[in-house]
Amino acid sequence: MNHARPPVVDLTQVTLAYPSPDGDVPVLNGVDLTIDTGEIVAITGPSGSGKSSLIAIIGGLEPISEGTAHVLGLDLALQNERARTLLRRRDIGIVFQAYHLVPSMTALQNAALPLILAGEDGAEAKATEMLTRVGLGHRLGHRPSALSGGEQQRVAVARAFAARPRLVLADEPTGNLDQQTGAVVIETMFDLARSSGTALILVTHDPALAARCDRTLKIETGRVVP
Amino acid sequence: MDGHGTPAAGMKVLITLLKAELAHGILGLRLFMACVAIAAGMLGLVWLMGTGLSEAMRDNATRILGGDVAVTVVNAPLDRGTLEALDRIGRTSNVVELRSTAHAGSSPGSSRLTVELKAVDDAYPLYGSVALESGAAISDALAVRDGLAGAVVEADVLTRLNLVIGDVIRIGDTQFQIRDQMTREPDRLSAGTFLVGPRVLVSLKALEATGLAGRGSLVEYRTRVRFPEDTAIEQAIRAVADEEPDRGWEIQSPEQAAERVREVMDRTTTFLGVAGLAAFAVGLTGAWAAVSMWIGRRRRTIAQYRLSGATTSTVVVLHAVLVAVAGVLALVLGVGLAAAGAVILLGNLTERLHLLWSPADMAPTVMLVTLTLALGLAGASVAALSGVANLSPLRAMRDGETGTRLQPRTAWGAGLCVIAAAGLAILGLPNPSMAALAAAGLALVAGILVLLGDGIARVGRHLPARRFLALTIKQGLMSPGPVMLRTLALGIGITGITGVVATQQSLQTAFETQIPEKAPDLVLLDVQPSQVDLIRATVSETPALDGLQATPFMRTRILAVNGVPAEQALVNPEKDWVIEGDRSFSWTAEPTGAELVAGEWWPANYDGPPLVSAEEDVMQAFDLKPGDTLRYSVLGRVFTSTVANIRKEYHRTMRPEFLVVASPQPFRDAPHGWIVSLQGLDAESLSTFVADLTRSAPNVTVVDVRRLVRDAAEVVEGAILGTLLIAAVLLLAGALSLSATIVADVDARRREAVALSVVGATRREIALARLAETAMTGLVAALAGGAAGMVASFWITTAALRVDWTPGLSAVLLPIGLGVITSIAAGLSGGLGALPRGRGQLMRLLAG
Repeated sequence: MNHARPPVVDLTQVTLAYPSPDGDVPVLNGVDLTIDTGEIVAITGPSGSGKSSLIAIIGGLEPISEGTAHVLGLDLALQNERARTLLRRRDIGIVFQAYHLVPSMTALQNAALPLILAGEDGAEAKATEMLTRVGLGHRLGHRPSALSGGEQQRVAVARAFAARPRLVLADEPTGNLDQQTGAVVIETMFDLARSSGTALILVTHDPALAARCDRTLKIETGRVVP
Repeated sequence: MDGHGTPAAGMKVLITLLKAELAHGILGLRLFMACVAIAAGMLGLVWLMGTGLSEAMRDNATRILGGDVAVTVVNAPLDRGTLEALDRIGRTSNVVELRSTAHAGSSPGSSRLTVELKAVDDAYPLYGSVALESGAAISDALAVRDGLAGAVVEADVLTRLNLVIGDVIRIGDTQFQIRDQMTREPDRLSAGTFLVGPRVLVSLKALEATGLAGRGSLVEYRTRVRFPEDTAIEQAIRAVADEEPDRGWEIQSPEQAAERVREVMDRTTTFLGVAGLAAFAVGLTGAWAAVSMWIGRRRRTIAQYRLSGATTSTVVVLHAVLVAVAGVLALVLGVGLAAAGAVILLGNLTERLHLLWSPADMAPTVMLVTLTLALGLAGASVAALSGVANLSPLRAMRDGETGTRLQPRTAWGAGLCVIAAAGLAILGLPNPSMAALAAAGLALVAGILVLLGDGIARVGRHLPARRFLALTIKQGLMSPGPVMLRTLALGIGITGITGVVATQQSLQTAFETQIPEKAPDLVLLDVQPSQVDLIRATVSETPALDGLQATPFMRTRILAVNGVPAEQALVNPEKDWVIEGDRSFSWTAEPTGAELVAGEWWPANYDGPPLVSAEEDVMQAFDLKPGDTLRYSVLGRVFTSTVANIRKEYHRTMRPEFLVVASPQPFRDAPHGWIVSLQGLDAESLSTFVADLTRSAPNVTVVDVRRLVRDAAEVVEGAILGTLLIAAVLLLAGALSLSATIVADVDARRREAVALSVVGATRREIALARLAETAMTGLVAALAGGAAGMVASFWITTAALRVDWTPGLSAVLLPIGLGVITSIAAGLSGGLGALPRGRGQLMRLLAG
């Protein structure tokens, strides 16, 4: 591991609680976590343990309740929503189990979105290259509704890696896919992360997949357990 | 149907699903219900009001006229021979009407009041009955008792003279005992709309004793005829007309009764009809958008039903029933409110107009309104529910766009329902031909808006998409279905609102011009020539009195133009009122001061054959020029005169203005009354003047113009408030319809906004993109809808309401404002509002 560069993710005693009529419901309870550049980390744990919430915090989608969360050198608690969104645009790609593609856009347009948002020239060419790398060079003009689940997820992967982010977050990316298709998606992600030196945090229930990562963190009832 | 394939089992499944859905409530359809309730309320109210008024007028036609035919002459009664001839045709009743002054008690200095005096014979009324508060018969109330003739009066006489039943009033030289209060006068509307005081009814014999109906007074003599049952009415009326062809009398049939009241009513009900039709169109569009939105929101639920094994028909029927339940509730609420409003308003109005009307008369119309709305709603809902039938469960679960394109069969079904509803509405609303044209116009506008929506989608497809903003705008605009729906809903709303507001503004201006700008304080009627000099002297001696104008005042009837009978010579049907009934007539040696449009005044010393000056309306009615000839009757005689000039009067002074003014001879020496107007610096000097005048010239009728102006202002303000309320309700309907399209859009774009946010688009960028996209449809809808609304209001105002088109700045700015506000609201809510702000809410959306 390369400790010369600051960690990509550095969480200290992070807590997250959602309000409810009966009082706050704790989701994360004093989480400490450090992830370095290029590291591939699996996060496992039972349903409802707080895995997805951890991904949301790191992705700047959910503000923390207490503690400190540094992502790519920025203290997220000090950033407003716009700053967190711009961080995501520049440096973080996210893949969800439910794909979250824009329904009205083609595969190419979906994959090119982060590049277009960043104002990069040649966005479509770069997105085409990325889609070709994930095996969808022949499906560029198709909309999500015309793609299979595996294909939609590969578009989401291409979109996450298109802007060459320093961190990719994947929340159960194969949860909706069969084993064979899931394997193809994971291979693609591993390949892209390794080749670009991108840190990858992968939420999964699959022990075999977790075993292929550099490190595995287990979360139970909102805490990281050894 | 589902279940085990049998209809019964399928029904059981449907009922189970319905129970579950209804237990959850139909609150998701509240926007739809609001649109339906407002459309139902507005259409129902104007329909019930319009039909109620028209039917009341039709049902009361013979009562209003007072007979099967009525003959009216002014100044001098019909010849005995003519009256006898009329008696031979049928049963007759003679009535005399004039304005006079009633004094409380018998002493000369007592309080007084200008009244509309009506003297009736024993045969009165030939149709209907006079309703007296005590329930007594009119003949008993008017009979002579203890040497005093009886009179029945409207409540206003008792209030304003501080009298009770049994007290005595003096009219002219005769005393009358007030025997009863009159609550309904069956032929009240035949007296026209300009009544300066409350009614006093006396017997014809008693009037003769007052001496008020002498020569020169402005008196109307009406003879009504009731034909035997088997009479050929048209022939009989022709026979009446042939009795004195050159008499210049007015012969009216029941259909022509209360023509001026009818005109005002037609104008009002036409505005109501168009407003109702606009509310119907806006409400239906809103209902369609709201159901489409609801179905869009339930996409995944519908997909789950389908994926769980429910057939398309089960899911469609399930949603149709839910929409029907919500629709029926809203319909009952809307029509119920409309019926309640109509009962109150019609009850009040018909009572004021002395018409017989019962709330039970509304029942068939209520049913027809409900049927019309139900058909319209069925059409709108079928169109929206086609989204359920077309939904691909797989695509819905994959976040794909679901089909909103109408299948031809569904489109035909929906179209037929809406056309049937529109047809019923057109036939039911007042002025069907006008309503049909308005509906055709709305359909044309809808077609243009759909084409424009399609055009926007085509432009969207060709937009370059290298930048985020351009790409998202392109994506938002390229699907023709939603773009057309938005453009149509927004455009129709703006058309309806702009049209009604511009029309309301024009009506308001027209109403306001009915309030005189400069009015005298007093107008004195029936002043005899010998009394004019006395009044002149009094006014010149009293510094507090000023502005005296004295003019001879007679009535005329135009009979022919250049030798052609007036009815045939008429070239402008809008000016037909100049030959309907008797019109104002005067003579003068000097120019009246009115602006001359053509020709010259006769010299001040002219004493040749009579020349006439015609008002501009007469010129427009007959395309009249100086040098043409007019044949007309005055004081029972017929004259033929050359037109010397055409005058323009401005109708806002409440000073006497005359349709025809003649040179002095031979009218100067004929017995006729004068009309005198004057102003006073204070109320006290006017009161003193009137008190003195009443003593010295008891025959003169004093009209307190200040009170009339106040009354007119009250009526005008009421009318303006009414039209404003209608425009406000339509604005509310439009706002609901527009919110339905906005909410539908926000809903459809939520998942898209979430996806854009995930990849790093800020709320501001998403909002800006959405704003730019909605601005395109908003701008097009505002321009097209606004223009269509303005064109529609121009046509309604000038062709149907016959008033000047004065839309005002607000009507011009309204469509632009609505387009901008809607675009901003849709843009901001679709951008800023689409992403949840609460802790954990985004996570729930991301979880899928």
